[in-house]
Amino acid sequence: MATASRFLLRKLPRFLKLSPTLLRSNGVRVSSNLIQDSIEPLDSFWRIGSRIRHDSLTTRSFSSQGPASVDYSSVLQEEEFHKLANFTINHLLEKIEDYGDNVQIDGFDIDYGNEVLTLKLGSLGTYVLNKQTPNRQIWMSSPVSGPSRFDWDRDANAWIYRRTEAKLHKLLEEELENLCGEPIQLS
Amino acid sequence: PNVGTGLVGAPQCGDVMKLQVKFDGSGQIIDAKFKTFGCGSAIAASSVATEWVKGKSVEEVLTIKNSQIAKHLSLPPVKLHCSMLAEDAIKAAIKNYKEKQDKANGETVETIDSTYLHGIGS
Repeated sequence: MATASRFLLRKLPRFLKLSPTLLRSNGVRVSSNLIQDSIEPLDSFWRIGSRIRHDSLTTRSFSSQGPASVDYSSVLQEEEFHKLANFTINHLLEKIEDYGDNVQIDGFDIDYGNEVLTLKLGSLGTYVLNKQTPNRQIWMSSPVSGPSRFDWDRDANAWIYRRTEAKLHKLLEEELENLCGEPIQLS
Repeated sequence: PNVGTGLVGAPQCGDVMKLQVKFDGSGQIIDAKFKTFGCGSAIAASSVATEWVKGKSVEEVLTIKNSQIAKHLSLPPVKLHCSMLAEDAIKAAIKNYKEKQDKANGETVETIDSTYLHGIGS
């Protein structure tokens, strides 16, 4: 009991940190929901808390090589996955749109439709990011590093590709800077 | 024991790939088969994989990269994941083959040991 509540207190700021940003991008209706959620039932925190505890026990096996199998016992709840993934993809869309105004790349184009984020960099290649809901992943196809599949890592608070332990935002920052010659801040 | 089977992909995502490789006595792949449920690119990628592994050794087939498969098939960016699946399938098949080999070897040793112990006991 005591350890559980300590655990929750540790995770709480992180949870709250997420809400103001969500609030901005999704408008008033969602924000009121969020506030309601966060003051309301303590037992929803209990639920989240127990899930986190469960996850940290079962998914720490980052295998760096060989095909990774999906650990179904610890997947995110679908609703939470959509919230996290949508936030990430919308955030990237915004940031990269701004970035496009600052770099001179022939054929630069970013488009988000049908839940697929497509970034065209002319002759430099094309990035594709999409949600893969059944296994709670974000998939990315990069002209530099090829295909990769990112899982949400609660401890790192980031999307991580298990095989290389690369973080989505960091990988994109590095690759885009190398491709376009201008640094970009995504996280 | 001279056949390795790799089964990769997730049924919920719509892609499942099964790849089997058959080895001869000298550690060379003499035959390969695939069975793939999924998009055209996934099927094509697994087909190429079976073509490419034939006549090769374990070390050689493990050097086959998804990027080579994607390039060979001119896969569009969104389909690069299919070539990755094929690379995974090859690795999984090899892993399975090695496990079978180890197990076969392990069992042989065990049999000898127990006969030996029986001999001592009696």
